Amino acid sequence: MKYHTFNSNTLSQKKTTFIQILVNMLKLEAISKSFYQKLALDEVSLTLEEGEIFGLLGPNGAGKTTLIRIINRIVEQDKGVVRFKNELMNDKHLAQIGYLPEERGLYRTMTVYDHALFLGRLRGMSKNDVNTNFNYWVDKFEIGDWRKKRIEELSKGMAQKVQFICTVLHQPQLLILDEPFSGFDPINVELIQQELKEMKAQGKTIMLSSHNMKSVEEICDRVALIHQSKKILEGRVSQIRESRKDGNFAVRFSGSMIAFVNALWTGFELVDKEILGDNRFVAYVKMRGENNFQDLLQVLLGQIQIEAAWEVLPSMQEVFIQEINHSNQTQDEK
Amino acid sequence: MKNSWIIALRELKERMRSKSFIAMAIVGPLLVLGITYMLFALGGKNKTHWNVLITDPNAIMQAKIMAQEDATVSYDFANDYIEIEDFANNPRFQKYDAMLEVNEKILNNKTAFLFYREKPSMQMATRVQYQFERRLEELMIAQFTSLSVSDFRKIKQPINVAMRNVYDPRDEASDMSGWVGFFFGGVILLFIFLFGMTILRSISKEKSNRIVEVLLASVKPRQLMLGKIMGIGIAAFLQFALWILFVGIGLYVMRETLFPDLLDASKMDVVQMTEAMKNQTLQEQMLSAKEYNQFVELIYERIRFGNMLGYFALFLAVGYLFYGTFFAALGAVSGSESDGQQFVIPLIALLFLALYAGHYALNNPTAELTSWFSYIPFTSPVVCMVKLAQGYPQGQGYLIYVSFLILLVSAMLVLWAAGRLYKNGILQFGHRLGFKQLFKWISRA
Repeated sequence: MKYHTFNSNTLSQKKTTFIQILVNMLKLEAISKSFYQKLALDEVSLTLEEGEIFGLLGPNGAGKTTLIRIINRIVEQDKGVVRFKNELMNDKHLAQIGYLPEERGLYRTMTVYDHALFLGRLRGMSKNDVNTNFNYWVDKFEIGDWRKKRIEELSKGMAQKVQFICTVLHQPQLLILDEPFSGFDPINVELIQQELKEMKAQGKTIMLSSHNMKSVEEICDRVALIHQSKKILEGRVSQIRESRKDGNFAVRFSGSMIAFVNALWTGFELVDKEILGDNRFVAYVKMRGENNFQDLLQVLLGQIQIEAAWEVLPSMQEVFIQEINHSNQTQDEK
Repeated sequence: MKNSWIIALRELKERMRSKSFIAMAIVGPLLVLGITYMLFALGGKNKTHWNVLITDPNAIMQAKIMAQEDATVSYDFANDYIEIEDFANNPRFQKYDAMLEVNEKILNNKTAFLFYREKPSMQMATRVQYQFERRLEELMIAQFTSLSVSDFRKIKQPINVAMRNVYDPRDEASDMSGWVGFFFGGVILLFIFLFGMTILRSISKEKSNRIVEVLLASVKPRQLMLGKIMGIGIAAFLQFALWILFVGIGLYVMRETLFPDLLDASKMDVVQMTEAMKNQTLQEQMLSAKEYNQFVELIYERIRFGNMLGYFALFLAVGYLFYGTFFAALGAVSGSESDGQQFVIPLIALLFLALYAGHYALNNPTAELTSWFSYIPFTSPVVCMVKLAQGYPQGQGYLIYVSFLILLVSAMLVLWAAGRLYKNGILQFGHRLGFKQLFKWISRA
């Protein structure tokens, strides 16, 4: 969270009052949108703080892309307000936003450089600025040789890099990526993740929608979950996972699995196991009754050789499924 | 607007690089030159000699037209009115192929009627018209001005010789200058069709390769649409400029090589009774004759390039904007490229209607339907060209501005409506397009 401080003059010059004002990069207030009779977004409110990576999650058709299009002013909301750095969002703010849509393409017959120049100019950049920034990125991605290549001559992975460069070329303050990892090969996913982390370190704000929960877990600070046009969850990734933990622990050990199970007896339940090699396992255990982690370690000591033990938090994938199912059940009950 | 311009420039660059643009710049002018050649070379094979009776009750022509005999046309004069039926059926007039009616109003309304038995070739018609016009020119200079012939030619209005079939005098067809207008209108339609389809394909392609959403994050849908129409429109104008250049060169080459006899000044010599003409040196006379030989007459004077090209450019630009907007909207709302091709059929039908309207105007210049066609924006680009070439009746010249204004306002309205369609349809992919959906999109703000 970042605070901007300013000096407020009062009657006495000697006495200076410091007021701290929280600057939100983006604030959505009760956004609603319908397409004909179909409600796409129902009073969705979100806040993105400066310098964070925010994950927008939800099943297909939940309304994520519509929300992203509203932020980019491609679609207009029926109700609600979008604020950019505490100002009502308008067209001039678009130059500070970089947007990589889910359905993204390039002109096949244009060269890589012409593409960058065209999209950079549309974002209000001068030719010199485009050249400087383009050179920075091609050097960074080591793709200087492609400059004059036409898009149709590039492989899919190469084209994806070009798309990313075109999105960040104008050094946006807010980067919005709709399914940035879909269609990317693992090497490019890793590369993009690294870049996003680096941009975050530079104070840029990033919003991404993704079905890749592993990536979300890895890079997102906070997430919001949208389901059936409504926001059903918002919070820090760590807090969400922490709040949904249900007493599961993992123990990596060497020894006999039978001895391990016998030791557990009635106070614990073996949920799952992984075989690592000859007599080496990871066992996932759930506490029963009043038992805790200390009790687990005590019953196991002497029976097997413990290598490591840790608390298992639910993955974002599990949280996602849990929340969606819960929401569906609530809907059914209504 | 700046963003529309960036979009337009990209589009223009892409068009200029495309092979079809270059191919069209070569094939198009060749086609035009081919048609012109056919009109002259093949059109001249009808009847090689004509007897023309000039009825001149007021003796305006003073029974003179040529300084010396022309091998291809002979003239006789009658100082009396001759009824058309009489001319058509009376045995004593059967030796004449045509009757040129000159009445006392000719010096004011600049219109004469030529009644023919058998439709003249274009060469023959031009020859008669040219010789008649030159003679009248001399008379007018002698009667009204003290200008030299060359100065007079700079300011004079061309004389309209309306050609009529003597057996069917109400048939107003076959006015050659009207055909020139029709040709111009046809070129407008050709450009609208070719570049309209380019707009459609370009937008469909942007939709199918999904770059459109990237663009929409920076530009408004209307800006994007306008940029596309502008860029492709500039490409169309450049293409047209190339056509003019190549056709111009081609006509010059044809004049010098394929039709050398047309340069023979002696064949085209008129009475030359004015002092100014008499005082011209032989060289000047040769130049003058060369300048005014019938081929040049047709291409450079009957067409009234200065006048026609100006209106042509205006009607081409606004007609393109009008139709181009439909193509753009269609590209934006179609779910797939094949979808767009299917829905383009009604648009092509409208272009055919425009072509038909042009032809109808050519044959029925004074019909009420022709007037309607000249105001309807779908047909006016062609019909106005035909009417303009035929010449608007005295005092009704302002009607072309009315037609143009209607076209311009319609183009603006269509642009506004298409903007809605574009905005609502451009991000819809893979659907099957139906009229119900089109209506929904157009009614949604």
